[in-house]
Amino acid sequence: MAGIFPKQIGLSGVVLLLALAWSVQGQVRLRTSSAYNQITVEDAGGYRLLRFNGSMETRMWLPNPLFGHFEYTEYFQMPLLFNPKPQRVLLMGLGGGSMVRAFQHYYPDIHLDTVELDAKVAQVAKQFFHVKETAKHKIHFSDGRQFLRLNKTRKYDAILMDAYTSNQFGTHIPFHLATKEFFALASEDLTKEGVLVFNVIGTYDDWRSDIVGSMYQTLKSVFPHVYHFQASDTRNIVMLAVKSKEPLTSTTLKNKVAALRAARPKLPKFFGPRVARIRAQAPKSAANAGVLTDDFAPPGGLLKSKKR
Amino acid sequence: MSGAELNTRGRQWALGALVFLGGFEVMVLEIVGARFLQPFFGGSFYIWTSQIGVVMLALALGYAVGGRLADRWQQARPLGMMLVPAGIFILLIPNFAGGMLDMIVDRYAVAVPVEALADTENEPASELIAELPADFLQGAEPEAASETPTETAPEEAWTEVPPFWQKMAPALGSAVVFLLPCFLLAMISPYIIRLATHQVEEVGTLSGTVYAASTVGSIAGVFITAYVLLDHYSSTTLFRATGWLTFGLAGLCFALDILWPESSQNKSDSAE
Repeated sequence: MAGIFPKQIGLSGVVLLLALAWSVQGQVRLRTSSAYNQITVEDAGGYRLLRFNGSMETRMWLPNPLFGHFEYTEYFQMPLLFNPKPQRVLLMGLGGGSMVRAFQHYYPDIHLDTVELDAKVAQVAKQFFHVKETAKHKIHFSDGRQFLRLNKTRKYDAILMDAYTSNQFGTHIPFHLATKEFFALASEDLTKEGVLVFNVIGTYDDWRSDIVGSMYQTLKSVFPHVYHFQASDTRNIVMLAVKSKEPLTSTTLKNKVAALRAARPKLPKFFGPRVARIRAQAPKSAANAGVLTDDFAPPGGLLKSKKR
Repeated sequence: MSGAELNTRGRQWALGALVFLGGFEVMVLEIVGARFLQPFFGGSFYIWTSQIGVVMLALALGYAVGGRLADRWQQARPLGMMLVPAGIFILLIPNFAGGMLDMIVDRYAVAVPVEALADTENEPASELIAELPADFLQGAEPEAASETPTETAPEEAWTEVPPFWQKMAPALGSAVVFLLPCFLLAMISPYIIRLATHQVEEVGTLSGTVYAASTVGSIAGVFITAYVLLDHYSSTTLFRATGWLTFGLAGLCFALDILWPESSQNKSDSAE
């Protein structure tokens, strides 16, 4: 008799665990693969998730696609501080289109160009993530660097970089989109007051802090000013590289926010709190980090590049 | 051990080193090359396709030509002469390749006329907001910015690389930079088989050993380059080092018959 109880508990425990796993794992809506990614779309707990090769790329709240995204994507709206009425913005890396949805909703006047390497990703984004191609939004299928190289006619007020490759070990920056030469190329295609935003996956003083330092140094080697924001919900640091030589002070920042509020009275509510997280000082790890170049960008590290 | 025996052993080691390092170099070029091409052609899958395809092509050509030349010359010196231009070429890759690859990228970029894109927006964004539960709205802006998109001016054409050239341009770029040196380096293996062969009875063992040594060299080239070298040295440094190493192999070919001449018995065998 004594042996029966634990057995029953064990069995029900297994059943419970399976049920829990089922509810957390959610319902797979799509499983497909392209030349670059294994793509999974999944609905779980009221959210729709996009995964590439196991790594989560996008989260979207099902009842309202404007919510549920990762906080870091909101910092991609910060270029508005430097130019409240940008004409044209370039986004590299579509994923599940969190930024496209936000821009199309909050700033429908801005012309958006998206560069995405994987056509399948765009198809999935349109079908499952409310991404629309409109007269104001065109998706280009190209490598980001080649796109900038071949672009000789257009100037962008902002270039938003969120192009990553993913595998089951995590996400990695394609090195040719993270070197000094690349940023020089991007800077040429920016307007005079243009801003480049770069999503760096890492933290200030622990996990991947070395890549955060390297990215800061590399951006700083091309742009006069680099500001950064640490997302509070994920390990992302979003860097804002500004072409304008004018440094930001608390007064000029206050003025810029006021000017932006005047130009766009219907800014999303999160905008203010996000601006408040701005940092201007170099991250600690930048002190012994090197500049990444086309010639030298250690693959084992983009993780740990040393000063040379 | 007799002097002749020692001599034979030295010759074997020298021939083995040539084969091993030849295989090693080809893979250093392939791996560093993939990295080198990426800024020009993008981080595309086709870079790897190109590198693998071009190197295999170079190997096939090198094996075919190298074997024939070995039969004709039967001496290491001419092989050394072939490796000198390979070394010069590899040494100078950082100097000339960038400009040529730039030319290839620009050559196949075409202007794509802008097709008028219909506004496919079927639901206005504000409707999405209306579906929100009241409590979720707290802290969120209930209303979208009200400006409607104004008409856009007719657009200029985009410059793009058509799909066919997105595949072929990297292959062309890869061939321009890596076909020649890999072709010359690939000649080493069949050439060495000919130099080392004295009797037809041993050809099986010998060619098997040469293939194995060359492939082990290649395996080392792949992993050492990807895991170690690229983390510590720039592409420029690695191309230069590979160039100098190729000169070293050429030197070894020149020295081979002087330092470790074949014994007279072997000579009569190979002369048939």
